[in-house]
Amino acid sequence: MDKAKPSRRNFLIAAGATGAAAVAAIGAKTVPQPAATSQKEDGKRSGYKLTEHIRNYYRTTLV
Amino acid sequence: MSATRLSEAPVPIGESALSEEDRARADLYALFARLFYAAPDLALLDSLARHEDLFGADYVPLGQAWRALARAARNVDPEALTLEYDSLFVGVGKSQVTPYCSHYLAPTGRERIVVALQDELRDLELGRIGDTHEPEDHIAALCEVMRHLVSLGSDDQAIGRQKQFFMRYICAAYIQLTDEILGTAATQFYKDVARVMRVFFDVESQSFEMV
Repeated sequence: MDKAKPSRRNFLIAAGATGAAAVAAIGAKTVPQPAATSQKEDGKRSGYKLTEHIRNYYRTTLV
Repeated sequence: MSATRLSEAPVPIGESALSEEDRARADLYALFARLFYAAPDLALLDSLARHEDLFGADYVPLGQAWRALARAARNVDPEALTLEYDSLFVGVGKSQVTPYCSHYLAPTGRERIVVALQDELRDLELGRIGDTHEPEDHIAALCEVMRHLVSLGSDDQAIGRQKQFFMRYICAAYIQLTDEILGTAATQFYKDVARVMRVFFDVESQSFEMV
């Protein structure tokens, strides 16, 4: 822990950036899961998934 | 593409290692990634509307902006929002606002920025999978990278990585990006999204300066 850390934490807390983990309930699980799953692959590499092609998404959902 | 098969299930954020504020930050980044990836569906709108009080009182800018967004989510039609999103960010060659941050980072040489970003993602062992073609500097992708970096831990090294990525690709872009969204006509919901994002990124910028 460096010395700067407590003040950063206090700042974040004062700024309200501790909104309950409820945001997870809001954002991440309500799909379409936009991105990121990060997980071990064969124990050596963390995979990462960026978004599907946005325009393709629109083609499939707009109509 | 670098990655092969990934499970469809979202991987939970490492809850034990994360401080409360970092979990909230990761969640906010996830939400922005979602909202800038595509318009929200009804379930997400309902969820937003039910969580008006999530970020504190009105005298806190984040709390105030959040409350406005939650209220806006109450009586809005998902199909109209899809059109709003489309006209804002997607229209080929005629979108009102470009969601690609390199556009705001430099007047020219966007390709160089994207290449540098790709290199950086490779170093982080991140990359596109499947038949994704969107350039990595899409704000939804950048938020997703930040969500990932925040979820890695609350130690000094992790925060240093977050700071470096944020300062390089988001910090110099978000003010103009949100200004452009706020300056467009005929959008309401995404203006509230932009206001929350602006306030949150202001908080992020200031907090990173303390590191």
